[in-house]
Amino acid sequence: MLIFHLDPLASAWFSLLVIVALTLSFVMLGSHWLKNHIWAFAAESWVIAALSVTVGAYGHYPELYAIAVLTVLFRGLLLPYLLLRIIGGLDVQREIHARLSPARSLVLGVLLVVFAYEVSAHLGLRLGLADNIAVLALTAMLGLKLIGFLMMVLRTEAVSHILGLLLIENGIFLGSQILVPGMPLLLELVILFDLLVIVSTFGLLTRYLKTHVGSTSSHDLQRLVG
Amino acid sequence: MTTIPPPVLQIGQVLTVLLLAPLLHGFVVTAEERVQRGTGPSLFQPYRDLWKLFHKELVIPDSATWLFWAAPFVSFTAMLIVPLLIPVLTNYPLPLSDMGDILGGGLILTLAGFSILLAGLDTGHPYGGLGSSRESMLAILAEPTLILVFIGITLLAKAMLPFVVNHLLVAQPAVYWAPSHLFLVAAFFILLTVETERLPIHSSIQWEIYMIGEARILEYSGPLLALLKWASWMKQAILYTIFLNVLTIPWGLSVHGTPLGVAGSLLALLAKWALVALLMVGIDTVQSRLRFYRYQEPLALSFLLALLAIVADQL
Repeated sequence: MLIFHLDPLASAWFSLLVIVALTLSFVMLGSHWLKNHIWAFAAESWVIAALSVTVGAYGHYPELYAIAVLTVLFRGLLLPYLLLRIIGGLDVQREIHARLSPARSLVLGVLLVVFAYEVSAHLGLRLGLADNIAVLALTAMLGLKLIGFLMMVLRTEAVSHILGLLLIENGIFLGSQILVPGMPLLLELVILFDLLVIVSTFGLLTRYLKTHVGSTSSHDLQRLVG
Repeated sequence: MTTIPPPVLQIGQVLTVLLLAPLLHGFVVTAEERVQRGTGPSLFQPYRDLWKLFHKELVIPDSATWLFWAAPFVSFTAMLIVPLLIPVLTNYPLPLSDMGDILGGGLILTLAGFSILLAGLDTGHPYGGLGSSRESMLAILAEPTLILVFIGITLLAKAMLPFVVNHLLVAQPAVYWAPSHLFLVAAFFILLTVETERLPIHSSIQWEIYMIGEARILEYSGPLLALLKWASWMKQAILYTIFLNVLTIPWGLSVHGTPLGVAGSLLALLAKWALVALLMVGIDTVQSRLRFYRYQEPLALSFLLALLAIVADQL
């Protein structure tokens, strides 16, 4: 496997990209403006594409270059464009009824990442991978997933919920790039198609919510309708 | 191969900073105007300003004490000492460069700032006091971060000398691209914007109510003002040089001290300065001005980045 015999420079590159991706997810937690969330997501996708290229170059997986191109096209360009179109159609620019202030959600995010680190350090110890890039990859993967869940719990706007979901998916993808880089191309295509379906469904949903409820915030959805 | 003797090179390092710092300032000002679709002053305007100020009459306020006289000389001398300690042209230590390490250089830079701060308070002029109090509020947050960055660099290189850091980063790309190093670069860059007055809370226009650094030296005139201005431009050049030659772009320095190598490293230094200057101009132009009390946010970010770099380095 790639992670067992990695030269220091590759290891430095991987950890840099992983940490930048993790930092970008904190931009989402620290801001209440939906546009900032989308830009952070797009930037994170570009970072993940760069990671694919680096892993492909160091591990000699030519199909990862194709995956990187697809990641940039779909996650880096198409999905942000669709999301920007969705919020362009809404008259919502920012979260109004978020349950916690940005500062508090940042602190909560830090605690979750620390928890993720503890879990992955234990896992790494059990698997004999301590002091390895694998621990960092696992931390980032679990951390991104937890932050994605946190986004969905704390935020009320439908667009933030999609972004939380996409963040979780980004986390899984980022971890799998380093931990199991030989993933078949078909699987990646399936995931990308999934994402496209998620975003288009949410686009429909927000439109429906807007015409029938008049708001896309889950804060206003309090009445059960039979 | 003939090499230039080290003492000559050391004098050359000081002269480089002394003579080219106004040019750097001129470049920043002109580039900023050009970006904002103005014409801007000539690149050499700072030299003309210095010439003009040195030929003007000196007016001293009645309430001024010896502190008012001492501050320009202290700060100017401090800026002449720091280039001795850092790699400006060569990547190897020159005579007297072991006088002080990174922390020593930081201390001398801070001493210059401190003397100007006292001079601002000395005359009892309201603007001087205002500028000094604002500057010290910034310093309270900037100084601990600066020290943390230095500690981070020290832990990275296991040495306090800038030359060792430079050699390490050139020799080991893995250390250069490690997150702990690049976080330190980011933290230092934010400090650079604070120290060279390019933060969105600083104003690019000099004389107005929101001025910070400029308010401290409002009472000065003539040659003393020229010295202070020159010192502040040199401080900018020195900080850029530390940022570039020690942390960010450790390449392009003279290795053997041959005339050709030194000339090349001088050109490289000018190009690197221009790069950072353009970055600063970009930040100044893109980010709209914030009110003064937003000053904690970038500084807190810089502190956090430095702290994270140290934690990442120790794990």
